[in-house]
Amino acid sequence: MNMIEFRNVSKVYEDNTAALRNINLTIKKGEFVFLVGPSGSGKTTFIKLLIKEISVTTGNIFIAGRNICNLKVSRIPQLRRNIGYIFQDFKLLPNKTVFENIAFALEVIGKPGYVIKVQVPQVLKLVGLFSKMNSFPHQLSGGEQQRVSIARAFVNRPPILLADEPTGNIDPVTSDGIMKLLSRINLIGTTVAMATHDRSIVNSMRRRVVELEEGEIIRDQKRGVYGV
Amino acid sequence: MIFRPKYFFGETFSNLKRNFLMFFTAITTVAITLFMVGFFLVIVYDIQGILGSIKSQVEVAVYLKDNITDELRVYLENEIKSWDEISEVKYISKEQALENFKGEYEGSDILKEIQGNPLPASFELRLESPEKVDLVALRFIDKDGNYIEGVDDVIYGQSYVQKLFSIVAIVGTIAFLIIAVLLLATVVLIFNTIRLSIHARRKEIEVMKLVGATNWFVRIPFLFEGFFEGFVGSLISVIFLFILSNYFLIKGERAVVDTMHIKDLAIVGSNNVILYIYLGLVAVGGLIGIISSAFALKRYLEV
Ligand SMILES: Nc1ncnc2c1ncn2[C@@H]1O[C@H](COP(=O)(O)OP(=O)(O)OP(=O)(O)O)[C@@H](O)[C@H]1O
Ligand SMILES: [Mg+2]
Repeated sequence: MNMIEFRNVSKVYEDNTAALRNINLTIKKGEFVFLVGPSGSGKTTFIKLLIKEISVTTGNIFIAGRNICNLKVSRIPQLRRNIGYIFQDFKLLPNKTVFENIAFALEVIGKPGYVIKVQVPQVLKLVGLFSKMNSFPHQLSGGEQQRVSIARAFVNRPPILLADEPTGNIDPVTSDGIMKLLSRINLIGTTVAMATHDRSIVNSMRRRVVELEEGEIIRDQKRGVYGV
Repeated sequence: MIFRPKYFFGETFSNLKRNFLMFFTAITTVAITLFMVGFFLVIVYDIQGILGSIKSQVEVAVYLKDNITDELRVYLENEIKSWDEISEVKYISKEQALENFKGEYEGSDILKEIQGNPLPASFELRLESPEKVDLVALRFIDKDGNYIEGVDDVIYGQSYVQKLFSIVAIVGTIAFLIIAVLLLATVVLIFNTIRLSIHARRKEIEVMKLVGATNWFVRIPFLFEGFFEGFVGSLISVIFLFILSNYFLIKGERAVVDTMHIKDLAIVGSNNVILYIYLGLVAVGGLIGIISSAFALKRYLEV
């Protein structure tokens, strides 16, 4: 089953920057895909289109068979609840504790309190931050903050997880930990798309690699490596 | 979406605590502006009340010559009744006049000095439109400036009545203009304060929206906040207004009323209308808070 499908998708920003040009791509349910390419090649744009943070200029995007380009504005929250998004810049709320930051993602979608009390500690154990539950983001290291943002993206067990450079600015050992986590999440059936610049991670994982350059797909390999 | 009062109130109050200065500014703004609006409303209302009392007391007394014939008297009465400005004509005969006089001065020495009946018969006129009292009086005067036949004298109000009417009209207009401007200023100020408070939390709103919050979920705590600010602010203004009108205005107005000899005056703070002004202010405060928040939020929800 196709989880994500891009059909002739182009994105031109208001200032006429063509960030994506005529993209055609399908990602199957349960796949793990690396998006690679130089800075400015369109990776983040690709991911933002999937949660409708921005809209396509031309073309269509299908998620689980549904065309999201003609989705009503009132249906957008529903779409986002099914997609976990690990932001390039974490986007943790500084005045909320680790627990609250994650609980917040569940409150937002109307989960009752007793569910939150069970699910948040569970996901914190998964990312190894159970003991930091009551810390504030500024009391955490970069890697720990990154893991909080993964926990928040995953706490709702969404069928799709999008990660925008989840290992940027993190040392190799911590990066390995995060990749193990994402692999585990992928193993339980979650479709994962991850944008990255990290050559060694891509090379060691041997997953599907889609390479972008100036908004075009120039390579799509089954068990690829970072670059040729 | 399930309504989650605990979450929404929790959010609202933690926001208020976090942005206490902003919150304080908003409340003070509402309190001051609504206080001024309320103050003017009370003043205008009171002036209306005083004016009403004065108006109802404006009457014209037309004293008749003792030698007037019954024919002429009846003719005059019918003529006066046909004028548009007149609402009521009452004939007081000489005997009736003496009777009234005795009633008013019962037990007083003045009665002993009265020989026979020196009081004239008269018509008492009540006016439909008291502003036209001059016009009515003029009708009893002929081309040469004398009173028409059968009329001895025409007496009406005091000379300040006319001036008062025009002053009150001007004051009323100015006060309403000021109220309109103040209300507008209140809206703009609350709108801005809430926009600032929203702006300070735009990151939070963005994240909320990106993890799948509906617009209403984001909106509700801010609407509560706006309502709370408007409500508390207006409550404070009402308290100050209450104190001011009860301890200062009433005394001032009593003094005015006493010097002007106005009876049956509705005085500040002593009736329902003032209560409605207070309730109105609180409602307006809360409403302005909510509406300003809703408008201020609009731009930030487009994620
Ligand atoms: N909001 C925007 N308005 C205008 N142009 C934009 C906007 N966002 C991105 N761009 C441009 O679109 C192109 C693709 O940007 P994008 O963020 O998708 O690249 P990226 O592959 O994620 O880069 P990086 O690896 O540095 O994160 C770039 O040329 C960028 O300058
Ligand atoms: Mg990027």
